[in-house]
Amino acid sequence: MSIILRHGTVAAALVATTALGTVVAAQEAKTIQIATHYNEEQMAPLLACFDAYEASHPGISIEFQQAAYGDFLQTILTSRVGGTSPDIYNIYSIWAPQLAAAGTLAEPPADVKEWIKASYGAGTVGAATIDGTLWGIPTELSVYQLFYNKKLLAQAGFDAPPATWAELHDIAAAITTMNDQGVIDRAGYAYGASVAAAVHVYYSQMFAAGVAPYSDDFRSTNFTSPESIEIITRQAALFAEGITSNTNTTDDFAAGTAAMAIMANWNKAELQTVYGGAFESTVGTAPIPANGGPAGTMLYSFLWAVDSTSDAPAESWELLRWLNEAQDGASLSCTGEMLNNLGAFSGNLADLAKMDIGDSFSAPFVAAIESGAAKSQPNIWQASENDAILRGYIEQVWAGNMTAADAMAAADAEVTAILSEQP
Amino acid sequence: MTNVWPADAAPRRPDLIYPKVRRQRLADWLGSKTVAPWLLMSPTLLFAVIFFILPLIYASYISLTQWDSLTPPRWVGLDNYAYVLTKDPIFWKTFSNTMYFAGASIAIGVPLAMVLAYAFTRSRGQTLWRSIYWLPMITNVVAVAYIWKFVLDDRYGLVNRTLGLIGLGAPGWLTNPALALTSVVLIFVWMQLGHNMLLFSAGLANIDESYYEAARLDGANERQLFMQITIPLLMPTTLFVLITNFISGLSYFTLMLVLTDGNGGPLRSTTVTGLYMYQMAFADLRMGRASAVAYILFAVILVITLIQLRVFRRGGVEAH
Repeated sequence: MSIILRHGTVAAALVATTALGTVVAAQEAKTIQIATHYNEEQMAPLLACFDAYEASHPGISIEFQQAAYGDFLQTILTSRVGGTSPDIYNIYSIWAPQLAAAGTLAEPPADVKEWIKASYGAGTVGAATIDGTLWGIPTELSVYQLFYNKKLLAQAGFDAPPATWAELHDIAAAITTMNDQGVIDRAGYAYGASVAAAVHVYYSQMFAAGVAPYSDDFRSTNFTSPESIEIITRQAALFAEGITSNTNTTDDFAAGTAAMAIMANWNKAELQTVYGGAFESTVGTAPIPANGGPAGTMLYSFLWAVDSTSDAPAESWELLRWLNEAQDGASLSCTGEMLNNLGAFSGNLADLAKMDIGDSFSAPFVAAIESGAAKSQPNIWQASENDAILRGYIEQVWAGNMTAADAMAAADAEVTAILSEQP
Repeated sequence: MTNVWPADAAPRRPDLIYPKVRRQRLADWLGSKTVAPWLLMSPTLLFAVIFFILPLIYASYISLTQWDSLTPPRWVGLDNYAYVLTKDPIFWKTFSNTMYFAGASIAIGVPLAMVLAYAFTRSRGQTLWRSIYWLPMITNVVAVAYIWKFVLDDRYGLVNRTLGLIGLGAPGWLTNPALALTSVVLIFVWMQLGHNMLLFSAGLANIDESYYEAARLDGANERQLFMQITIPLLMPTTLFVLITNFISGLSYFTLMLVLTDGNGGPLRSTTVTGLYMYQMAFADLRMGRASAVAYILFAVILVITLIQLRVFRRGGVEAH
């Protein structure tokens, strides 16, 4: 009987232990879903880090979800409506105001905030901040500067990039040529068809002129300031004088049929592919031409953010911090490694110091980030809608349908009305 | 009329169970003329309710709210309709573009398809011709858009290079705001041509050859045969083609989205209402306002379709 009892007790204890263990394991096991617009090839360094993290953190599993950049916001919205939101997103900073206002984003814990402020540049932290609240960890930085084709400038007799807009105008005019049908086949300067190709350029020029495009509280604009009117008037002059046209876009810079354009640093990888060994001798970058004074430009950022409905917020922030700090003596963090492979800049100052950015192409961008000359894109309310409105009015001036003053006054009225909707 | 279960007429003992009779009664009921059609249609009806009726009702509710899809909808009554119809600085421009696009694509595309279908019906190898003209319909719209971007490129496009060879200038087919929408119309006509030709071919096949023989005996020439016999007898097909083309033209925006990198430029010259609504919903997150635009567009399409039906019935459909 005692043997039976003893065996029974042992069996019961085993069953209880197993069951308890299962319960504990079930309680601890967490799956963290991470959504980014980067594809698997671009994400390769991070995917390897996910595996390493899972190995060193039993109970944590990480799932990667990819959505194309153009569909990313819609994917987030749809997943939230369906109750299947990822735990972590990599989002464009201008989406943050509405996502934050809607309660979609979780605020980082205090220690993570302190770490971000200590580890990232001021302009970069600003891109992840809305109304004084920091919402995530900045990742990829995109900075605007002037790109110029060294060979085209040299052929026209110029051995240095323009420092002022007047110089840019003269150099561009000297380089521009037309074909036998009257179409510009080599443009001195080029814009593009996208909203950013006009609006980001305008914002960059505004910062270069020392004026922020929006007021500090993001409830009104500086579109009608004298600097703004001058910028748009000068842009329109390039169209009116046949130095550029709708035909000539920033894509032409890679084709060697546009001499100058204001573009973001992420174009480097494509230009390196196009020009190969001739990249260094062909592609030059310089600060945005203005009327003198300190340099200035715009940067925009992506940021890691955690969804407010995540059932693993603490684990998600812990994972994000791990991914953004160099591990086990590595020179770069996991995120930094991925960005370095993409030829992009990290907002993390430790990563930035160790990235492959010592070339002449990167120098003006890095200088702008480190000096604080690159100001973060204003995280305004309804940024996408406002940018589209602004592009519409800038185009009206380019086409000669409106004066710069009238167009910017109209843009100001429409955008201010939308900004007044914010809570 | 009410259904009577077949076994109800027979006397039954309350202390006995009749399972076979019950099954038979159920089978008879399901197979009855009242129930069976609904039963057979139920998968389709269920699909229509879930994917058409419910979204339609939900969209009508959303059109009366302010909703960004992140926070709960906020009731605003008819404000969205009032804003779109009276304050929106872009809506009427997009509406005008939409009407131009739909009208021009019909004005060019329908007569062209009718004439080509008529010609090919009387030519050798009509199956081959139909297949060739049908090809754009089965080609992905993104591929179509990219091909035409190359063909219509200002500097290096096939069209402008050809014009250059004969000493003509180079229009900005997709970069000139005055020309861009017309270029899109021409591409759309090219895409739709095979589809419309197929419909007209089917209509032509239904015209009895004896009408033509009788007319020829009376001395009618080819033009008279086409104008006096083919066009009137094709009226039902023409009505169908006109209505379906107009509906698709009013709501179409995929080609503009791809051709213009999504911004409907230059100078919003190719922004049709469908594209504007798409941008409003998924870029600006103004779901309520976008739903209101959808309902306004729906109302316009409904009115125009009713007018088309009325005019064409009076003009000949009923006569034939």
